[in-house]
Amino acid sequence: MPKLTINDREIEARDGAMIIQAAAEAGIEIPHYCYHQDLPVDGNCRMCLVEVEKMPKLTPACATSVSEGMVVNTHNERVKEAVRGVLEFLLVNHPVDCPVCDQAGECRLQDYYMVYGLHTSEIPLEMKVRKRKVIDLGPMVVLDTERCVLCSRCIRFCDHVTGTGELQFFGRGDHVEIGTFEDRPILNPYSGNVVDICPVGALTSRDFRFKCRVWFLHSTDSVCAGCSTGCNARIDHRDGAIFRMIPRRNPDVNKSWLCDEGRLSIHEIGRGERVRRALIKGRDGMQAPASLGEALDAANTGLREAARKYGGAAILGVGSASATNEALFLLARYVKGQLGGDQLEFRLDSEDRKALEPEDKILRRFDKHPNSMGALALGFAGDEIGGIEGAISKAREGKIKAAVILYYKPLVTRETDALAEARIAELVSLLEFSVLFAAHKADWQTDAGVLLPVAAWTEEEGTYTNYQSRVQAALQAINPPGDAQPAWSLLAALLEASGDTSVWSSSTDVLSDMKQAVSAFAGIDLDSVYSQGALISTNGAL
Amino acid sequence: MTKVLLSNIDRPEQVKLETYRASGGYRGLEKALKLDQAAVIEEVKASGLRGRGGAGFPTGMKWGFVPRNSPKPTYLLCNADESEPGTFKDRLLMERDPHLLIEGMAIACYALNCHLSYIYLRGEYEFIAHILQKALDEAYEAKILGPSLMGRDFALDIFLHLGEGAYICGEETALIESLEGYRGYPRLKPPFPAVSGFLASPTVVNNVETLCAVPWIIQNGAAAYASMGTEKSKGTKLFSVSGHVNKPGVYEVEMGYPLLDFIKNESGGIPNGRKLKAVIPGGSSVPVLTAQECESVVLDYESLAKAGSMLGSGGVIVFDETTKMPEVLSVIADFYAHESCGQCTPCREGTGWAAKILRNIVAGKGKRSDLELLLKIANMMEGKTICPLADADVMPIRSFVNKFRNEFEDFCNGH
Ligand SMILES: Cc1cc2nc3c(=O)[nH]c(=O)nc-3n(C[C@H](O)[C@H](O)[C@H](O)COP(=O)(O)O)c2cc1C
Ligand code: SF4
Ligand code: SF4
Ligand code: SF4
Ligand code: FES
Repeated sequence: MPKLTINDREIEARDGAMIIQAAAEAGIEIPHYCYHQDLPVDGNCRMCLVEVEKMPKLTPACATSVSEGMVVNTHNERVKEAVRGVLEFLLVNHPVDCPVCDQAGECRLQDYYMVYGLHTSEIPLEMKVRKRKVIDLGPMVVLDTERCVLCSRCIRFCDHVTGTGELQFFGRGDHVEIGTFEDRPILNPYSGNVVDICPVGALTSRDFRFKCRVWFLHSTDSVCAGCSTGCNARIDHRDGAIFRMIPRRNPDVNKSWLCDEGRLSIHEIGRGERVRRALIKGRDGMQAPASLGEALDAANTGLREAARKYGGAAILGVGSASATNEALFLLARYVKGQLGGDQLEFRLDSEDRKALEPEDKILRRFDKHPNSMGALALGFAGDEIGGIEGAISKAREGKIKAAVILYYKPLVTRETDALAEARIAELVSLLEFSVLFAAHKADWQTDAGVLLPVAAWTEEEGTYTNYQSRVQAALQAINPPGDAQPAWSLLAALLEASGDTSVWSSSTDVLSDMKQAVSAFAGIDLDSVYSQGALISTNGAL
Repeated sequence: MTKVLLSNIDRPEQVKLETYRASGGYRGLEKALKLDQAAVIEEVKASGLRGRGGAGFPTGMKWGFVPRNSPKPTYLLCNADESEPGTFKDRLLMERDPHLLIEGMAIACYALNCHLSYIYLRGEYEFIAHILQKALDEAYEAKILGPSLMGRDFALDIFLHLGEGAYICGEETALIESLEGYRGYPRLKPPFPAVSGFLASPTVVNNVETLCAVPWIIQNGAAAYASMGTEKSKGTKLFSVSGHVNKPGVYEVEMGYPLLDFIKNESGGIPNGRKLKAVIPGGSSVPVLTAQECESVVLDYESLAKAGSMLGSGGVIVFDETTKMPEVLSVIADFYAHESCGQCTPCREGTGWAAKILRNIVAGKGKRSDLELLLKIANMMEGKTICPLADADVMPIRSFVNKFRNEFEDFCNGH
């Protein structure tokens, strides 16, 4: 742990850290373009030049490792002048088309110009180097080479993270341009990340560009619900509409990346018809709209009646690996504690247990549900029942008569989804009475006795347990449509109506109770859940 | 005067192994192979030989930096990318006496315990590639190179690699990148090539002329070499002379030769009795000297440094009184703008911007304030880049504008 001095402040740094990292950890920002925490160092932009005692020249802070007794200055006149110079150079041939640039508002050129530049341009327009604009680079990325500061972040991403090497520099001197061979599209499944890491408006998102000025957006910390990796993300939204999801760095989970499917999964929430109001099936067998209160009453009454008539063993709680830990915990508490029933997760049939299996070497996992590990830890393995197949045959034999079911459609879709959905539909069709929690409409839902509108991911706060058994919080970004409410909150109402005396006014209340009641969750630290995530002990549940 | 490098340059058929051997060739290698590897390095150290590629780094010391017990192989790369404007000496050696280079490389490889070596040849020197390859083939056939170096238990392969025409690939780490098959981008240093160079292994990069001096040093002894030249600049050096002289060409002289005498005696003086205006003494990357500054200068590292310039590659460019200095600078600036690899910001943007301003000035469209801007750009570039190419542009810009300011102002006047 070498000690060094930065701007007269003594700090301790990690062995082998670069000056820029040591400074950042001490809260001293050194301006930079090419440096990126999760990419190899390249040292090309020269924006991070600092003065180090005993070094004759200024040295790049991103490429100079700390050493004991080093004396660094990041803000004296000599350094400031150098940084100003580099910035002026970067702007010499820049088109400065901020009014029509999607990066405006979150652009490193704009930001640093305000801090270090504020100079008057000394180059006449006609002397600027012109480069190619609006180049289509596939489903995720649009390239404007004129705005590029040639930091090579995008190249290094494709070389070192995905290993696909689509991007490269072409040409020499001030005619260098970034590009792909013959403008071929970037088709790797992580291509959207190059847009995030591009410090300027050279690479913009095909999905997001021109939809909204970034300064109108509100940001909410979330966790991608696209698969069991649980990448940390930020949801940007305005007036109840989500505009984009971008990565939130978590070195233990997703570093600074998201996969493209996950990134685009925000659009799935609005796709298809949403369940906006509760429905109750009448004597005529037709579902009719009802208030939430009426529907919850009907649900409670129906289930209690079934339990009385057929015994608790005839009642089943069907969880979902896309539901939050909180919803699953209360579901179990309701079905087991109040009705005496059993429980399972309908997609986690033994052969489908792929929560731990990676789909590639980067982030994606085969299991397209954010909370399989949570479902297992909360006792939804369903082994005794024989999984969903076992439940279906028991329903056919008349041994299972009623169920409470959480159903969320997957946000990242795969061919096997249809099979899973068919199985749950079959189960519902065989039951005498079912209470179905759903966010999206589907034909088979007409068989449900009570249909409850629930909030989808991004519309509620809750936690998911990823493949590492890491519990991570996703906050609420937007409001759910119509009467929809978080599943945990509807379940809390059912529990209250059944005489459970606990009071939960937030998902965190539920999590605190879970910590008390479920041994796997006992050790988690709530603050960590809301930052880097907290590991639960699973005793090898999978 | 004793010639170390050019003694056989005019001998007919010197390119042939037979002729080379008849002129005493490969005896230096024979002698070296009888010595300890460390003793060869000591001999080169004692000779005071300094790198002739431009930086003048002591050659023996460079060889001494290579770690002895590295588990990785050591590589010797011969820098034959000769592209510095005004420099054409390596070309002469390779064209006329290719075995001299092969012998020098073989001795260096033996000393460095290197078994695989490359010659990185400038792309435009394709015609030399044929000459070099023929000489290499001959050396293999004669069992000088190959599994046993001159019959010794020491394998040595030398391969020829032709560049693609980029000045920057003469910078040693760009050369290494290029040889590895990547874009010719200079690397961040450290690590230096001696520790991690070609294929992340210890690597020595030496200029053609440097390596060509080695056989003579081994054969005649370090003392004989060190007896020539000045106190700190030992031996002889090739100078490529171009510009306003009667006899442009390559000359080998002892270090310490007075510059003006050199122009007058060796290169036949300035044509038509015109007066000298300025000299670039070491290739386009070094500061220009005014005629007056040239008066006290002798051709060695120290004297040129004292005069505010550098020996560089020994490319002497002579300008007579009719020369329009802004035009010269504009050509030089265009060269650097064209050759900047474009990797780091100050060089990529600065070289191009400066070149455009100078083209404007030469076209009579310049403003006086452009001169301040040029000097500002020079300051913004200097010492802030990955490799010295940006500084190589700064040197001429600053020295030309400062020393010949009135000429630049004349170009700008009336606008
Ligand atoms: C832009 C640039 C171009 C260079 N070009 C050459 C070259 O063409 N030939 C050469 O021998 N050295 C060239 N050098 C110097 C090399 O980097 C290196 O210092 C040299 O090859 C070392 O050999 P030496 O020690 O024998 O001089 C160049 C350096 C720079 C910065
Ligand atoms: S496109 Fe963006 S990330 Fe890529 S080199 Fe240019 S500025 Fe850097
Ligand atoms: S890897 Fe999984 S969690 Fe990460 S972004 Fe993709 S779908 Fe979302
Ligand atoms: S100084 Fe110029 S030539 Fe050298 S690495 Fe930087 S851009 Fe390339
Ligand atoms: S951030 Fe250090 S050189 Fe770019």
